[in-house]
Amino acid sequence: MKRLLNLLVVPVFAAGLASAQMNGPVPKSFVNYAAEPASIAAKKPAVVELHFKVLDGYHMNSHTPKSELLIPTVLKLEPATGVKLGAIDYPVGHEYSFSFNPQEKLDVYTGDVTLKTHLTAAAAGTYTVKGVLSYQACDNAACYPPKKLPVEIEVTAK
Amino acid sequence: MKRNLAVLGVVALLVAALVWAGVQNLRARRLAAEKAKQAPELALVKEGAAPPTPSVSADSFVGDLDLRGKPAPAFTLTTLEGKKVSLSDYKGKPVLVNFWATWCAPCKLEMPWFEELRKKYAGQGFIILGISEDEDEPKEAIAKAANKLGVTYPILLTDHKADKAYGDFAILPMSFYVAGNGTIVEQSAGLGSKDDIETKIKKTIAATGAM
Repeated sequence: MKRLLNLLVVPVFAAGLASAQMNGPVPKSFVNYAAEPASIAAKKPAVVELHFKVLDGYHMNSHTPKSELLIPTVLKLEPATGVKLGAIDYPVGHEYSFSFNPQEKLDVYTGDVTLKTHLTAAAAGTYTVKGVLSYQACDNAACYPPKKLPVEIEVTAK
Repeated sequence: MKRNLAVLGVVALLVAALVWAGVQNLRARRLAAEKAKQAPELALVKEGAAPPTPSVSADSFVGDLDLRGKPAPAFTLTTLEGKKVSLSDYKGKPVLVNFWATWCAPCKLEMPWFEELRKKYAGQGFIILGISEDEDEPKEAIAKAANKLGVTYPILLTDHKADKAYGDFAILPMSFYVAGNGTIVEQSAGLGSKDDIETKIKKTIAATGAM
């Protein structure tokens, strides 16, 4: 009887554990981009902020993760006519450890993340700069394949 | 009298129809049983064939992905040493197919557990195949990570088809426990406890032994 109970109960218990690991479908994107039009002075170096939000419960590696095997967050902007692109400033990440491995310290972004891009508009006018944010996200028990998030910046130079 | 005869006729027809249906049903069941006997022992999905359709159940996870009870999709992949390995090479044995990547911290935590459990259950034919989902990492970096974790089971390089055949999941680690007849007995997404992993291994070994 005990054996029969084990046969019946153990698989159900195991299935319960498995389902407890993941609740609901995996999101298609773990980071949202809030596109905001920027206004800058023409012919002068300017800084435009790009605002991202990492979904609650997830984190992504910072631009400078602590292991060479980890995939850093990188923003790549495409050259745009009339706009000279400069450096991109990444925020400092914060220390994070998985609860199952507290010894390993990671450097991650969570919540609101602001990147700053330096650029100069050659003349007055409206410009569109396109790019891609590459990142790799995890939650507290799993990781997700690297993603690419399209980014578009509308810049009006006066 | 005529009415009675008519009723009797109808009853006789009904009985005859029921008998005929019963015989047909028995024949169909015998035929199905015969076909099942002739089916290959390992019910793998052929390479390149359509993957099993994931079913949705109350305890499904990773969204709607649940391949438990379905035939394990076949694959042939190359190891870090350049050797070709197929799932069908391990026909008749309980196999854990584990998808991982060097950038996945939870994956790297459970891999030493896998190695330990592989040794513990090796006598019962238990096999582990690790499939690296790394895209840009050179083989050397994958090998270095596996060595650092103390892994001695085969590490196979992704062909970007095997993962799709297993439900095109978007989460790591992802593991499928395949019984000796090629049926997926259990699966797990994300990091589980070591006890949970061992329970699934035992279940897979038991399912293999019962066949």
